[in-house]
Amino acid sequence: MTFGLVNVPIKLYTATESQSVSFHEVHARDGARIEHRRICAKEDREVPYEEVVKGYEISEGKYVVLEDDEVKAAAGDRGKVVALDEFVDASAIDPVFHDRTYYAGAGDAPEAYRLLHEALRRSGKAGIGRFTFHDREYLVALRAHDDVLALHTLRFADEVVDPGDLEIDAPGRKPARKEVEMARKLIDSLHEDFDPAAYADTYRDAVLDLIRRKAKGEDIDLDAQEEPEHGDDLAAALEASLGS
Amino acid sequence: MPRTLWSGSLSFGLVNVPVQLVSAVRDLDFHFRQLHEKDKAPIEQRRYCAEEDVEVTWEEVAHSYDLDGKQVVVTDEELASVQPRKTRTIDIEGFVDLADVDPIFFDHPYLLVPAGESEGTRRAYRLLVEAMGSTDRAALGRFVMRTKEYLALVRARDGALSLTTLRFADEVRPTKPVPSGGRKKPAKAQVDRAVAVIEELSTDWDPGRYEDCYRERLRRVIEDKRKRRKIEAPEPTRQPAPAEDLMEALERTLEEVRSG
Repeated sequence: MTFGLVNVPIKLYTATESQSVSFHEVHARDGARIEHRRICAKEDREVPYEEVVKGYEISEGKYVVLEDDEVKAAAGDRGKVVALDEFVDASAIDPVFHDRTYYAGAGDAPEAYRLLHEALRRSGKAGIGRFTFHDREYLVALRAHDDVLALHTLRFADEVVDPGDLEIDAPGRKPARKEVEMARKLIDSLHEDFDPAAYADTYRDAVLDLIRRKAKGEDIDLDAQEEPEHGDDLAAALEASLGS
Repeated sequence: MPRTLWSGSLSFGLVNVPVQLVSAVRDLDFHFRQLHEKDKAPIEQRRYCAEEDVEVTWEEVAHSYDLDGKQVVVTDEELASVQPRKTRTIDIEGFVDLADVDPIFFDHPYLLVPAGESEGTRRAYRLLVEAMGSTDRAALGRFVMRTKEYLALVRARDGALSLTTLRFADEVRPTKPVPSGGRKKPAKAQVDRAVAVIEELSTDWDPGRYEDCYRERLRRVIEDKRKRRKIEAPEPTRQPAPAEDLMEALERTLEEVRSG
């Protein structure tokens, strides 16, 4: 990571991991593992990985074949240097541009790392640069997060749908100012701190529970659908807020 | 108009707005197919039973979970029995400051568009856009899409309602194990200089200025290959050494950026 003449060695770590319950496929009849085999559609026989190439379809059934090295040629600068050429207000980057997040940990120049972290934190800025990772170049934003640096890969503008293109019809009569004010009051009355730990993936919990019950040899009632645990509180909150 | 992924209604107090969910991003990547080198025929992935060595159809596949070394097999029907009840609403539970939601939680962006032609729907939709557009707050809600329940953030963006699904708290790794360079605070004079460099290099966020060079280079590689031109990989740049003297590097950088 460089900004100006200051170089900050970093190491990358994954910041997020899906906790969805993952299964592997088995043959229902005998419980044996399912293998995915590569079959040549023309010869109807299995093909070893060495005989597989990448093809880009330019017209129906016509492919341009690319070797791995040729795809890599498009990767971008593989020099493992992210140059932070410019800085923007971190809060100005709309959520729609955020793709994946990694943690950038300190490498072997901890002093420079702490300096960059503190300068980003104090200025509230994010450094913008280009970064080549797994043979592909990304646009990235680097910002201070807790005590470390977070590296966000960003989407490009042409990948983001402009709401103007959706042709959302305006109503014949605009909402009255009083209605907008009422709605705003409601928004204010339902304001709360963002507390991500308050929300659990209820589907994941239900699947894990199913697996445990099944492991114990319990019969599974196929018709029992659990009621979602939430839903009623809102109505109560609204009544309270509207009634005042 | 992008494909509708979900339809239902957004419920906000006594206001119920019928909406459709569409993706807020489009896939512009080049996608490749696996081909058999010899005859350029497409490769198909087929399922085989490892024991019997026979092809297996999708209907014959069950799902197995490794529970502490024990294989537990569950069927599609059993999984379906624990799926959340298919609701057709996005229940708004509260409003949070958008600035409080760290970008690390953002998963996939969508847009909500009003469903149907009715004047009432359009007005209710517009009401939400206007009311939410005038605050820095976003609605936090939950909804069920396909088989999963999602936590989502709804806010106004450029005259439309935008919905971003969020990761759950336990899907974000703690920062503690990540090396943070120790506890030693950088000297104030150094931080002042570094902030000055950052300020000099600051600009407005203008996403339209950045082009996906990878996509463009890949387009050229495909074009070259089609015309049977030679493709060469660029040489990687060398990794620069860390500065010996941080303060000096900062001063020189500041001079350079100021002299333009």
